[in-house]
Amino acid sequence: MPKLVLKFENTVLKEVPVGAREVSIGRSPDNGLVIDNPAISHYHARVFEEEGRLMLEDFGSLNGTFVNGQRVKMVMLKPGDSVAIGKHTIVVSDSRDLDGFAFGNGGAKPAAPKINETVMLDTKERREFLQKVAAVGESSQVAPARMKVPTLVVRKGKTSQKEYTLSDKLTVVGKSALATVKLTSWFAPRAAAQISRREDNAYYIGAADKVPSVNGHPVAHPIKLVSGDIIEVAGVQLEFVYRD
Amino acid sequence: MTTQMETDFGALSDTGCVRENNEDAYGLAPEVNLFVLSDGMGGLEFGEVASRLTVDAVLAHCREAEANPLLPLSGERVDGVSATSNRLASAVRLANEAVHRAALQNGVRQQMGATVVAVQFDGERMSLAHVGDSRAYRLRGGDFEQLTEDHSFVAEQMRRGRMTQQEAGSSTLQNVLVRALGIEPMVEVAVGEELVMEGDTVLLCSDGLTRELSDAQIAAVLGETEDAQEAAGRLVELAKQAGGGDNITAVVLRHAAKPVGAFARISRLGKWFKGPRDLS
Repeated sequence: MPKLVLKFENTVLKEVPVGAREVSIGRSPDNGLVIDNPAISHYHARVFEEEGRLMLEDFGSLNGTFVNGQRVKMVMLKPGDSVAIGKHTIVVSDSRDLDGFAFGNGGAKPAAPKINETVMLDTKERREFLQKVAAVGESSQVAPARMKVPTLVVRKGKTSQKEYTLSDKLTVVGKSALATVKLTSWFAPRAAAQISRREDNAYYIGAADKVPSVNGHPVAHPIKLVSGDIIEVAGVQLEFVYRD
Repeated sequence: MTTQMETDFGALSDTGCVRENNEDAYGLAPEVNLFVLSDGMGGLEFGEVASRLTVDAVLAHCREAEANPLLPLSGERVDGVSATSNRLASAVRLANEAVHRAALQNGVRQQMGATVVAVQFDGERMSLAHVGDSRAYRLRGGDFEQLTEDHSFVAEQMRRGRMTQQEAGSSTLQNVLVRALGIEPMVEVAVGEELVMEGDTVLLCSDGLTRELSDAQIAAVLGETEDAQEAAGRLVELAKQAGGGDNITAVVLRHAAKPVGAFARISRLGKWFKGPRDLS
């Protein structure tokens, strides 16, 4: 399966498989490939498979998408193609090998360097740092924000409403007094699952009394929800979408 | 009404093997289900003063609010979170003011600051507020998760897609914070909420613990040790064995799967009086 390799200045930041599932690219936390940079539009582009071909579509982004140096709207991608978005590069790779890209918990801790006492960047340093970060978005144009409303649509099962707009940091699915998504069947658990909005403003679903599944995969460790995800827990089926 | 869950708690702070003084502090206020940890920074004794001021300010505001729910909030109300979470955020803002004021008075403006991580339980809901790189973790079943995001230079670089986890882990800039209490008159507080389940274990810790131990090591201790105080002790001991390069503090909070008996409660109260919250 091909994958998209996100790079910044020759450093590999992320690898995302593409094909079976469309990958949207943008600054909003609900994209499949998030690039948090002012030069990137909230919903910048997408990569998807059509009739066995890998396609890239730019969503009319402000600063554009460039493939092998050419600004594109819709284009077919080949392995080895290099997609430039802002100062980031996305390389299309077809290698099947999984290079040891170890993220997350467990395993040995890398040898930590000798660290001095905790310090705070002083005001001047911090301003410079923030300016430097902004400068990476070079063209002073900043993509306009499009606010989308996170929503849970009930597709199956007994609940108090047909859909729920997520406005709280904590959303509980269950019978509990705390629950937003109230389950009304007799044997529903107090708290079947929980969805938390974290500091990155994305929504993460995790287990409570039950282990929910997202798109058919059980969620042992909380995962970020993206538009179109199907959640199944305690006899209900919910679709998570960002509404316009 | 929601059921009030019993919280078994334990805490330990240690200077570590390298430093001469302990700039970490913690505060436990089980009567209001509030637990706070702070890591101070600054030369001489200023780091210790900053973390102690932080803990005391958070406890004082929340205790006062318990007696007087109409006590005004400091700062803007945060949308989408409970009154308890707003109270906790307000307490952290007041702690920022307290440290900032003290720094100005001492004329050490740039050298006095503190991190903070605080949790308060209200029935099935947990409110969480933090600034800096002190962390909150949760062990639920076999799943161990960091609930806070570090306000550090390397974490910020990772979020912006400019540094990988490996690069961050080997960076010499790990000690640089981009947000802390006491540096400026106002601070942006990170506020979160989580569901509380029976059997959940929450860990608050300073970076002295997480620099020495991996997530897997920490999760193993929390998973194997029943008593919260014993778990805190074992974590600190392991971090010291691993080098103890910085001050180490662990606060372990566990929601009993069964109601805790009167005997256990009394023996815990004994511990609480013998081992005062201020070990720094």
